[in-house]
Amino acid sequence: MESSNRKIGIREYMAIAFLTVGTKLSDDTPTLLVSETLTAGWIAALLTGIISIVPVLLMIKVLSVHKGKNFYEVLIFLFGKLIGNLIAMVLLLIAFSALIIDSAIYTDIIDTMYFTTTPAIVIYGVLMLVCTFGAKKGLEQIGSVAWLLLFYIKITLFIVLLYAWQGGRPSFIFPLWGGGKGQIIKAGITKVSLFADFLYFGMIAPLVTSFKSFKKGTWIALAVVTIELTAAVMAYTILLDYTTLRLINYPFHEAIRNINIGFLTNVEMLFFPFWLLATFIRFSFYLYIVTMLFGFIFKIKQFSYVLPVVATLVVFIGIAPEAPTFTIFQLRETLLTIVSPVYIGVPCLMWITSKIKGGTENEKKMEKN
Amino acid sequence: MKKRWRKIKLLLVSVTLLLAGCWDQRELEERAYVIAIGLEKAGDKEEDKGQVKVTYLIANPEVGTQASGGASDEPPQETLTIPASDFINSRNIANVVIGKEISYDLLRTILVSEELARDQHFLRLIYNANKDREVKRSTQLIISKESASEYFKNNKPTLETRPHKFYELMLQRGIETGLIPNSEIRSFFRITEADASLFTAAYTSSEQKPDYENRDDEFIAGELPVSGEINKTQFIGSAVFKEGQMIGKLTGEETRLTGLLRLEQDVTDILTTLPDPGDGKYRISVRINKYKKNKVDMDLKSFPPKINVVVPMRIEVLSDPSLTNYGGSEKQRNKLRNFFTKKFEEKFNGLVQKSQDEFKGDLFGWSIYARKKFKTIKEYNDFNWMESFPKAEIDIKADISFGEFGRQPRVPKMYEVKD
Repeated sequence: MESSNRKIGIREYMAIAFLTVGTKLSDDTPTLLVSETLTAGWIAALLTGIISIVPVLLMIKVLSVHKGKNFYEVLIFLFGKLIGNLIAMVLLLIAFSALIIDSAIYTDIIDTMYFTTTPAIVIYGVLMLVCTFGAKKGLEQIGSVAWLLLFYIKITLFIVLLYAWQGGRPSFIFPLWGGGKGQIIKAGITKVSLFADFLYFGMIAPLVTSFKSFKKGTWIALAVVTIELTAAVMAYTILLDYTTLRLINYPFHEAIRNINIGFLTNVEMLFFPFWLLATFIRFSFYLYIVTMLFGFIFKIKQFSYVLPVVATLVVFIGIAPEAPTFTIFQLRETLLTIVSPVYIGVPCLMWITSKIKGGTENEKKMEKN
Repeated sequence: MKKRWRKIKLLLVSVTLLLAGCWDQRELEERAYVIAIGLEKAGDKEEDKGQVKVTYLIANPEVGTQASGGASDEPPQETLTIPASDFINSRNIANVVIGKEISYDLLRTILVSEELARDQHFLRLIYNANKDREVKRSTQLIISKESASEYFKNNKPTLETRPHKFYELMLQRGIETGLIPNSEIRSFFRITEADASLFTAAYTSSEQKPDYENRDDEFIAGELPVSGEINKTQFIGSAVFKEGQMIGKLTGEETRLTGLLRLEQDVTDILTTLPDPGDGKYRISVRINKYKKNKVDMDLKSFPPKINVVVPMRIEVLSDPSLTNYGGSEKQRNKLRNFFTKKFEEKFNGLVQKSQDEFKGDLFGWSIYARKKFKTIKEYNDFNWMESFPKAEIDIKADISFGEFGRQPRVPKMYEVKD
């Protein structure tokens, strides 16, 4: 993986994007969106996707001027060593916290919904072990595995959503504005960082075969993931109604527990492995990004050696909180709210600086793209 | 050497990973599969307030399988009743007499005695079903007239001896015929949490107190005089819940009418009788099929709120006891249609009246429909459906069209036969 020279294609890139962001609909994200907006959670989900267009657009514009450079290198170029590294440090901190909190949530899901007697630390340990292995293999491998599994994961997801749609009652999404328009806008803005992953995709921009593929892949991924999340929140609302939905943490797993295929009951174990695979890919990628950023900031060329240390740290910090179902839920909500301005702000700042610094020449380049 | 080390390392890692999956492993024979849980009050004494008696109906997985050749010396089921605080800790208490781990994986039915369902502590107790990881939200909540332990003792199916199949079939068929409502526990929680409509649960009894006054489906469980060599457990009628507490009962007929008035189309096969307009002595057998959704119109701005419902029904006339040949002429058909329409509207409006006056709540789940009329949840909550519904002016219309008139469309005239 040592800043591997081999590149990934648009398919692999999109598969990674689909799985890292798309998997969020299967954790507590829907509950976060619904808690204040009530029946209108899906509008909030749609809104976060629409707002995300701004930072993603600006990021692509800036990166397009500096083709061949990744996000970090552009940061250094634009802001100089000191401020550039400072911003990168903030981004690293955010990515690391997100990695810890999200992996802790997934451990909690597995622990509370599936393997109830296995100690959390064992689940956590195994999860991170697999993901470290995946991350160590490098981006190329993560990409091909993601592409390989994408179809199966999305098919099972589609079945679950289809079931939820037909098993529920469409009238449950009324009243249309739910908790009120103000709440929807508030949720849409504070939770926009759900899509903050797209900022980190900038780190691997030069590793995608061409910048055109990167650009195209990002837009397709953003559109698909937004639609997916919106449809999922809608489906959960239709299946469970907002009264129940806001009380439960992991609606996806509640939904699959309700599915009967003909005479087959208890089929949740049919869907679980696919979800698990998506989880592995997601955290492999997160680990990869975190160590990559770490490596760039601290000038470690062989950053794959840092992986085990990072993974171990994640396990020990992630396992610490008491009553994870509640604590981590709150932590995640706080983190999302804090990250949102960063997610919107950093690309804006970069774009403005790039305009000032690059002058007319850069501007022309930007226009072209 | 280096290569061998790599192999050994790989082996160790994969073994660790694979074996970690065995942590929750349990052998089939180490688990006792509970098919139904029965809950009843422990007693009336003050110190018994929080206590319940939990009854487990445990299936014998060997019965009816190919492996045992369909015959086993062991009985198909066993029951045990223990006092406990709830049905979560009772799992361990049960291990005093059962050497296996109690599993709720195959739990399909939670049976609650009427006495406990009417208790105000019931809601606290039943919320454990959401806390337990193995209890599914699709579990059926049914209410028994007698105590749960009594019920399981009396209930001895003769042909369908495997208990999971018995409950599955009884409930499934009951829902199809509309004699009992579909009472999944998730609807119970949803309706209770929304606090707008009333929940109905299937009603059952294993004791017979025949009531010879009633006809057809006008019974409630336990009242139908059944004879013959058959299990005497009956599933008919429903228990009405308001705010998580049982407040009343509906007969089989009322349950069917409720099913017709609700928005969803659960009921698919209603066979019933209606008086014959040609001759009051006789009753006509009909099959009722609600072929599309009800049309509900609401005016919630006015006071009192106005609700108009049209129930589309397709009726197949299956008998002709007065030998009138209703299908034969337009005139007769219209006569029958008007008669049926009047009858149904009478019954529907009577039930709505009962729902408004006796239960002071909405039996029909129309609150979901009412939600469309509001922009935000706040407006809807301020309207307070539970309070407003009993004051509403409700009018129900039956829209009847005829389907088949039996296999043989015409019957001979009475005088032709007698002559």
